[in-house]
Amino acid sequence: MAGILILSIIGISWLGALTVWGLGDRYEKLQHSLAVGFSLSAGIVSLFLLYFIQAEPAIDIPLGSAFGNLTFVPDGLAVTLTIIATVIGSLAVLFSADYMHGEAQLGRYYFLVLFFIGAMAGLVLSGNLLFTFFFWEITALCSYGLISFYNDDPKAVAGGIKALIITQVGGVGLLAGTLIAYANLGSFQIADVLAKYNAIPAGALAFMGFSFLVAAAAKSAQFPFHTWLPDAMEAPTPISALIHAATMVNAGIYLLARFYPAFEAIPGWKTSVMLVGVISALITAIMALIATDLKRALAYSTVSQLGYMVYAIGASSVLASQFHLLSHAVFKALLFLTAGAVIHSIGTRDMRRMGGLGKNLPFARNVFIIGALALMGLPIFNGFWSKELILEAGLEHSPFWTYLLMLIGAGLTAFYTFRMTWLVFFGSARESLHVHAIGSAMKVSLAVLSLGTLTTWLFFGGLSGLLSTSLPFHHIEAESTLEMIQTVSFAPATWFALLTITVGLTLFFTFGRKVALAENPRWLSALTESSFGFEPINHWIVKLVRNFAEKLRATQTGELNWNILGIIGALLLVAAVLILNGA
Amino acid sequence: MNLSPLNIILIGIAGLLGVGFYGLLITRNLIKIVMMLQILIKAAVLALVFAGKVSGNLGLGQSTAATVIVADTIVAVVGLALAVQVRQRFGTLDVPKISTLKG
Repeated sequence: MAGILILSIIGISWLGALTVWGLGDRYEKLQHSLAVGFSLSAGIVSLFLLYFIQAEPAIDIPLGSAFGNLTFVPDGLAVTLTIIATVIGSLAVLFSADYMHGEAQLGRYYFLVLFFIGAMAGLVLSGNLLFTFFFWEITALCSYGLISFYNDDPKAVAGGIKALIITQVGGVGLLAGTLIAYANLGSFQIADVLAKYNAIPAGALAFMGFSFLVAAAAKSAQFPFHTWLPDAMEAPTPISALIHAATMVNAGIYLLARFYPAFEAIPGWKTSVMLVGVISALITAIMALIATDLKRALAYSTVSQLGYMVYAIGASSVLASQFHLLSHAVFKALLFLTAGAVIHSIGTRDMRRMGGLGKNLPFARNVFIIGALALMGLPIFNGFWSKELILEAGLEHSPFWTYLLMLIGAGLTAFYTFRMTWLVFFGSARESLHVHAIGSAMKVSLAVLSLGTLTTWLFFGGLSGLLSTSLPFHHIEAESTLEMIQTVSFAPATWFALLTITVGLTLFFTFGRKVALAENPRWLSALTESSFGFEPINHWIVKLVRNFAEKLRATQTGELNWNILGIIGALLLVAAVLILNGA
Repeated sequence: MNLSPLNIILIGIAGLLGVGFYGLLITRNLIKIVMMLQILIKAAVLALVFAGKVSGNLGLGQSTAATVIVADTIVAVVGLALAVQVRQRFGTLDVPKISTLKG
């Protein structure tokens, strides 16, 4: 049964992708409703997977010697991420029905979105590392296609290519680690790697651990690869919500969480993971402080929150990181989609031109405030519980100074989140903009997400139960929601955090409001523009790949004679190999 | 190496392949390209018959060869018809000159 469910989640999404694409762009209304229908049914099917959680593969198809078996394992970690991908995916698709209304080439848009949702489900459910890699690459491809969706805008194309190349660096890391596992264990099965990682020589295991860390950092836009995500904001807003906040960037966290038991003992691995998280969380929080583009500010905060999850894994708390992943996926999708609704209704992303929009868009204001409070980590909202758990784990299992830095990050988060909310919805209107009403499909998906922001933390007990029973190698202890509430409420970490958040808010209200729009000091702007000096490195990688590709163009002459020469060369090579092997 | 009939056929196949590839390598004339493709296909037909003989499936090899002959006649006909059209439209059969694809 679980096997059928898994196949239908991926199948429904991909079938939907082909159907909407094949339909042609003449039937716009039908395209919208079909896309919503397919993605919603994938989301509903994935909820049923909750009843079939197991640690053993639900599907096991032998593929022949080198590939091993194609397996899909519906364990707690995989199913949680599948549900996030498909359910939030379907809400983003529903939102798109209003947002993309009247756009050209909807077939291509919905094809990439649905193809992506199916691939993301495959990525997390796959029990075969090689297929994890394949799905990983499909998500990168879809992300590229959607960032460059407006392909007559050079900025969108440049952003897409940058995202593609930087995430490929991660893909190479994943492939290298996968091949090392295969070379040493003769198997691509994730379960084998987790069970027998001791059979891999220490050096090779360390190399594998750090390649996976590179893969995760590139995919999740962590330091030092954090520069592609802000540039990816050229995508249509539902895509920013779906791929660049709620799903694809989680793949890196997933990879680290999945292989945590195998790499835990590698000297320096946990410290490096923690450092990557801390640095990402802090520097992007600073960048979010002075961003003037609403979507870029949200993108920086995404990197920052992902930093918290990475940090939690480094502090040996996989459960806290997955819990925050769930909370973050919901409230960040809410924030992004609300931002999309605002941008859609006034036609600009520049926060300097907004202001006082709360009067005209009360619904958007209310749901944005819910999301913002969750992002800040104030009580009751889901972001509060998960962030406190991470900080608590940090206080217990990590050096004190990293905890202190993360605490400062929480204060900065409160500051920039409030600045964002203030600039968009409060104060006086800085420009008289024509405001369109928000569509009903948008309102439905925003309402569902804000309900989720208020309630998903109640699922903590269920989540910890799922993870503890179905992940035999992770040794996660189940904890009920009530116990979690007690621990969090009485932990000193919580009170420190709340204190910091209050300080952040007080700072904003005493002097932040005045400087929110002020000209920033030049050194600060220069520093954030170059992403603290890492933009040039990323730029250099992108340029290197592009130049190499330009050089390779010379080999594609399109002339028959050269191609024949290539064919003969290849034939001779094959013959030589055969003869040498025979001899 | 003694010159048994099988070896002679092998040399024939290699020779036809060599001529065909060499021709494709140096020629730019569309009709000559079609001719060279024909020579290559003849090498393949010969190889099919040869393989049938060697493996003992004489009938299978020959019937496959007959099928290929039919198919390759169509290739020749279409190729030559295209060559005629190209000559009428562009006034030349030189392949690089009629290539209009950028890149």
